[in-house]
Amino acid sequence: MSTVRSASLAESINTALADLLEQEPRLLLLGEDIGRLGGVFRVTRGLQERFGKDRVRDALLAESTIVGQAVGMAMSGLVPVCEIQFDGFTYPAVNQLVTQAARIGGRWNGQVSPSLVVRIPTGGGFRGVEHHSESNEALFARLPGISVACPSTGEDADQILRYAVTLGSPVVMYEPIRLYWQRNTPARAPEPARSPTAARVVRRGTDLTIATYGAITHEVLEAAHALDPDVDVEVVDLRWVAPLDMDTVLRSVARTGRLLIVHEGSKDVGIGAEIAAAVAERGFDALRGPVRRLAPDRRPYPPADFEKGYLIGVQAIKDEVLVMTK
Amino acid sequence: MALKSESEYATDPDSDTRRSLLRHMLVARGIDEEARQLHKQGALDLWPSCQGQEAAQVGSALAVGPAPTVFPSYREHAVALLRGVTPDELFAQWAGRTFCGWDPRRVRFFPYTMVLAAQTLHAVGYSIGQRLQGLEDFVVVYIGDGATSEGDMSEAMNLAAVESAAVLFVCQNNGWAISKPAEEQMRTSVAERARGFGIESVRVPGQDPETVYSSCSRAAAHVRGERAPYLVEIQVGRIHGHSTSDAQEVYRTPDDIAQTRAADPVPAYAARLSGLGLVDTAWFDAVDEEVRELRERLTKEYV
Repeated sequence: MSTVRSASLAESINTALADLLEQEPRLLLLGEDIGRLGGVFRVTRGLQERFGKDRVRDALLAESTIVGQAVGMAMSGLVPVCEIQFDGFTYPAVNQLVTQAARIGGRWNGQVSPSLVVRIPTGGGFRGVEHHSESNEALFARLPGISVACPSTGEDADQILRYAVTLGSPVVMYEPIRLYWQRNTPARAPEPARSPTAARVVRRGTDLTIATYGAITHEVLEAAHALDPDVDVEVVDLRWVAPLDMDTVLRSVARTGRLLIVHEGSKDVGIGAEIAAAVAERGFDALRGPVRRLAPDRRPYPPADFEKGYLIGVQAIKDEVLVMTK
Repeated sequence: MALKSESEYATDPDSDTRRSLLRHMLVARGIDEEARQLHKQGALDLWPSCQGQEAAQVGSALAVGPAPTVFPSYREHAVALLRGVTPDELFAQWAGRTFCGWDPRRVRFFPYTMVLAAQTLHAVGYSIGQRLQGLEDFVVVYIGDGATSEGDMSEAMNLAAVESAAVLFVCQNNGWAISKPAEEQMRTSVAERARGFGIESVRVPGQDPETVYSSCSRAAAHVRGERAPYLVEIQVGRIHGHSTSDAQEVYRTPDDIAQTRAADPVPAYAARLSGLGLVDTAWFDAVDEEVRELRERLTKEYV
């Protein structure tokens, strides 16, 4: 199978943050252990030494404090880029994100446009302890006023971050933990995305479309490469789950006539359900068979010994594609 | 912590300030009455009355002056009016027209926040952000006793303390979190709790605007001088229910409500300044006329 070696996700984000701190004096970073330590994943390594304690701020261990003060900082004209340490620790900050960050633009009748970014390490597959391996992006995708990005490469994370800090409304960016330091990844089509918010066709194919996002994009690509030449799979990396770039998905489905959605977050009332519904509404005539979803059942992320049984692997993706194209 | 007696605040506001305190209290009372009236007529959907809390609001707002940015809760109508929010701007959100009827930057009185205590963290973050940019970082944040139970209030006090943020917390303790009395909400005063976080504090009665004015003046001087947070807890009475949807007769005794009405700060202060000869009938007539015109305009706008 063809793989390529590139900069890791963590390195790309570190470089992007450094560039942004260099270019935008109003931008600052805020998160637990991001300064002295460089973050528990070392994503912000070296940034406090370079930009100082005022701009790379070691936050109190309180997630509501992180996002709540960031809202106030945004009101004062700053551009805070927050880090939550692990996906499962996002919940204490949800009130500030949902009732405040997402709504102050409207409450202020447009007089405040908070460019506020919350970076969240996400997903499993690295033997994390309880709450360290979750995928809660669908929760925020439902909320008007918050954009949700799920990049699967450093290049995409870089483009998304640079866009997010100028958007004027909050962006939550999920960074797959198991990709942070991975350098060898399955080869992708070199086509650039049409815009910073667009999905990306990362493999061209004719028989079936797989729409996916985040870390599992790599398992999907691996499965697609392995199925070649028996089945020619097109892979759409959504990159954002809110708002969804349904145009790219619909154009792909118009070409292939089949759609499988794969994600790591649990299936029920998930991102896949929204995509399936939108294709049923707007692309039904193009379909040669039912839209299907492949995602974990609705249950808590298990202890590490059982995570292989929870996560969707390459084989399960191949099996599903073969069933759909039989 | 015991309430300090009023005699400990000997620094009297001057005569003009005293008249200004009373005028703002009377205007706020008149506008609040009009809101209750408009609610009865169906023109407002809801109104959280500030009656009984005028001395605390006017005293604190005049003491800190126009420079600091104010982060209110949702009952600080007297502060809003004093800061230059017009009565029709103030009513707009309660009539369902908008989420905020005024220009927050122009009056440095930020939008009301319905989710309790969320604004306390915004206030501290804003102050830090202003300081980082070399801008005015003195911030006043209002909170009620009920909202101090929220985690964000504790987080905000701790953040303000460790960052030494120039934030003045003004807690109006009206004794009730809707129907939950203060003695069932906390085992210490809010002022004592602030000290546990390393924040200097004082607890004062809120019936006399001059007491509030003096203590808030000292508090503001502390915030400016020390570049550190401070908390003033003001004991006030809540004359009406939590909002126009509340029925406080269900959970308060008639005696308790009668006592609160008897301690109404507005007529008490009017009588006091009259007795001192600082205001006369002509002065009251002029204020009455001003309030009458404001109320007429509100009726035209909202009915």
